Amino acid sequence: MNLSLRTSENTRIVDITGDVDLRGTPQLRKLLFEALKESPKVVINLTGIRYIDSSGIAALIEALNESKRLKRQFVLFGMNRRVHEVFKLTHVHPLFQIVETEEEALGAGNSENQA
Amino acid sequence: MIDPVPATELYFEATISLSNDVRFLTVMRHTIENLTAVLGWNDSESQAITLALEEALTNKIRHAYKDRPEGRIQFQFRTEPDALVFQLTDQGEPPDPARIDARRDNLQAGGFGTRIMKDVMDKVVYRTTQEGNHVILTKYLPRHSNDAQDGTL
Repeated sequence: MNLSLRTSENTRIVDITGDVDLRGTPQLRKLLFEALKESPKVVINLTGIRYIDSSGIAALIEALNESKRLKRQFVLFGMNRRVHEVFKLTHVHPLFQIVETEEEALGAGNSENQA
Repeated sequence: MIDPVPATELYFEATISLSNDVRFLTVMRHTIENLTAVLGWNDSESQAITLALEEALTNKIRHAYKDRPEGRIQFQFRTEPDALVFQLTDQGEPPDPARIDARRDNLQAGGFGTRIMKDVMDKVVYRTTQEGNHVILTKYLPRHSNDAQDGTL
């Protein structure tokens, strides 16, 4: 698994690629928590994920809970078929704010913030 | 070219003993993905079965041995006339009954692995004997599965 962090205005974008399993999830969790501390909005790019197991899903859930605690926005985008199936199997799909593209993810919540 | 033997007539049996090390997750993942594809499951089903088995293995690594590297896990696969059966055995801590009974509607960060195993496999049996803690996962071959309809699990 490879992780990289980008910034777009006030948003941190986390690109995750490769296989997300027990080997990499402590690192993923740490990065997500740091990003949430630093920025009001964190966007996760799932496009490059080849495989994700329940430890990866658990890391995303923990980050989601942390985002609620810190009152941050947490948006996922680029969910491919394989990732989608794992979300479906774990029944966590409805918990997250999920959009298709990075553009949508960056725009997501802007109207909510104004509302 | 030789006509392929129907999946239900194929025989496969193997036992692999491995160290309690997360690096073996990838090795086992590729093995199971390839085996389930050969036995006739489609890509989506194959991925789900692989995930369920990886969850069983992850449980052994994290919970039975609590990441202790000296632990050993025995991973057995065998085909039966109508099913593929996996048995994973460890000599660590027995599984926590509360985790085994994890409820689907209890959406906490954790317990997903157990739910995935139950949702994907046709049978999941836990047993503790003198040889260790076993989890036995059975998946009926595609044409025998009552649950599989139109390729969905």
